Amino acid sequence: MTEQTRERTAGQGTPVATDSVAAALADVEGDGLAGYNYAYLDEHTKREVRRATLKAVAVPGHQVPYASRPMPLARGWGTGGIQASLSLLGPTDTFKVIDQGADESVNAANIRRLAADTADVATTTDTTEADIIQSRHRIPEEVLTDEQRLVLQVPITDPLRTVDPSDAANRRRHAHGNYGKMWVHLYESVVEYGEIDIAARYPTMVAGRYLMDPSPIPRWDVPKLDDSKHLTILAAGREARIYAVPPHTSVEPLAFEDRMFTVERFPGQACHACGSTDTYLVAVSEDSESGGTDDAEGAFETRHVCNDASFCAKRRENPDLPKDHHLDPSGVDWGPATPEADETGGDWV
Amino acid sequence: MGYVAVTAGEEIIERAEQLFEKRRVSGDSESLGVDQLDDHLGRLTDRVMSESGLYAPRLAALAAKQAQGDTVEATFLLRAYRSTLERFDETPIVKPGEMLARRRVSPAFKDVPGGQILGATKDYTQRLLDFDLVDGDATNPTGEWDLDDKGDPEQLTTVTELLREEGLLYEPDEPDFGEPIDTTRESVTHPPDRDAVLQALARGETGAVTALGYSALRGYGQVHPTLAEVRVGRLPVRIEHPYTGEAVTVTHTDVTESEAVVPVYEKREDPQFAFGYGLTFGRNERKVIGMTVLDASIQLDSEEEPAENAEFVLDTVDGMDSFGFIEHLKLPHYVTFQSILDRIRSIRDSQDVPDDGSRGNRRTDADDTSGSVAGVNSDD
Repeated sequence: MTEQTRERTAGQGTPVATDSVAAALADVEGDGLAGYNYAYLDEHTKREVRRATLKAVAVPGHQVPYASRPMPLARGWGTGGIQASLSLLGPTDTFKVIDQGADESVNAANIRRLAADTADVATTTDTTEADIIQSRHRIPEEVLTDEQRLVLQVPITDPLRTVDPSDAANRRRHAHGNYGKMWVHLYESVVEYGEIDIAARYPTMVAGRYLMDPSPIPRWDVPKLDDSKHLTILAAGREARIYAVPPHTSVEPLAFEDRMFTVERFPGQACHACGSTDTYLVAVSEDSESGGTDDAEGAFETRHVCNDASFCAKRRENPDLPKDHHLDPSGVDWGPATPEADETGGDWV
Repeated sequence: MGYVAVTAGEEIIERAEQLFEKRRVSGDSESLGVDQLDDHLGRLTDRVMSESGLYAPRLAALAAKQAQGDTVEATFLLRAYRSTLERFDETPIVKPGEMLARRRVSPAFKDVPGGQILGATKDYTQRLLDFDLVDGDATNPTGEWDLDDKGDPEQLTTVTELLREEGLLYEPDEPDFGEPIDTTRESVTHPPDRDAVLQALARGETGAVTALGYSALRGYGQVHPTLAEVRVGRLPVRIEHPYTGEAVTVTHTDVTESEAVVPVYEKREDPQFAFGYGLTFGRNERKVIGMTVLDASIQLDSEEEPAENAEFVLDTVDGMDSFGFIEHLKLPHYVTFQSILDRIRSIRDSQDVPDDGSRGNRRTDADDTSGSVAGVNSDD
């Protein structure tokens, strides 16, 4: 789309007239996204998604089937998340989209553009300003409130898929609360490696009843789901399932008394941009600044940087900003402690 | 940092798309008309329609052009468009016997009522490159034919009908004329009903249907069917007239159909053939025969072989699903990869693997490892 047509169509998700075939065709043949319903999906579909979401909220951690329409995004690229978001968004909402922690990732930008073009919503990169946050594989560092909803994109809906590929068999296991096979899987991991070798997609028990795949968020983010203030909706497009963690629901990672759940560690590392030691860091390899041209050693330099890009930007302004800076009262539990809440300066390893 | 553009995400997306579009217009040749695609590359548009589940030759040609010939991408475009359209009616059931067949071969019997109709096919020609096509097409090779006694196309008795009359064919279940499932509006749960299986197969990706069907023949399955017949022709599309209630033919669709019998006896005391069925939009005999094998295999309902397991087949046969998820691996994965690195480093630490990768102790005592692993209890 050229810049001009985009300007013309931005926010023009208009209903298609249904009083006559000619009128409908005239509307559909408009340019760009005009001619599509408000928020792209037709109202029947949005109602179906909302019903599935309500059911998911009523039965925390249970996977609710829904139709999952073909979207103008490829399956596996956030089609479940965008269907859940578009079903919830209204014109007064503010929408934030992040992909692996970054607002500016090209796929996040594409999803944000679809919502902005068809649902006429404001968009933001500031976590605290968003009403709905759609995220791929991260929960933001800043504490979410009871006025916010988090939509997580889900590639694989069932934690039991690891131990049995059959959906029919796993549905039976969920119905019976029979998670023996997963416990054995964890035990075998301990026998093989001395600890539980699960990186992301850590199996978690929701409200003491259903085992849930929390989507490939890092283990770092899993404790944030426990007794949270916000509603989390997990939506899979390709696998056509929606599930949810309602506010103030217990979310407990499976682990053993003598092999506890552990989050990722970054020993001795701090974000090289903002200096944070209490955020999820990712390694980046960059050309060495010393730039020794003939020096093969040190041609690359590995540094660590905050994964949550928008919070990192705030910390660069104010290095002491706690993760619950926008809340009253402060000191809300949210993942590993902030320096303010913990005299050890986040050195919790 | 590569494809996380710091400020210009949307502009970069736009430019990448423009570069992609440029490919189509950067050559010296004339622009390819949508009608040309439908005329010259009918198999391509047929395939797109079949995998989309939408019979619309012109739109399929447009999608194929826009996708630069990538059938799965074209299918994706057409399905995304289809899902925004209102579904306003269901057609009365059309019986395959009503088909006006342009081609019909029955490998099961030498002669069948209505005869064998070879129709248009290159099945029995030598596959040699025709260099004359480089400089344009020859004149119509059928121009000299004497077609005075051509007669009208016939409706043909289906071959399986003959077997049914003799009681040789197992009837899977009573015909159910209730509201059929629509897998585009209801997600499939397992075990699926047969109408859901057939819909999923009919929309399946041609390569996937062919490969899975082949797997059963290749030895990963018991089904080696005898095709009762393969037919290519037109079926009427009817709707009930809103006032009179009578069925009115509104258009026709080109379809390919295949029926097979399988010598897997359903009942010991009354031996009958099992039965497989395939139908798809447009002309695609390979896919429809593959579908027939898979339908027959799935009815065996076994977990022993991939093709006989409905879950396995239905989970892997859809092009839009597999394409999307395979290609999503291109998306950033650095959060999850960091998490995986944390695990492997922790395990290597606990096993005293030196940094150069040479193996130290195979494994330290399990008690030692617990000391080096931070315990963060979620209850904290």
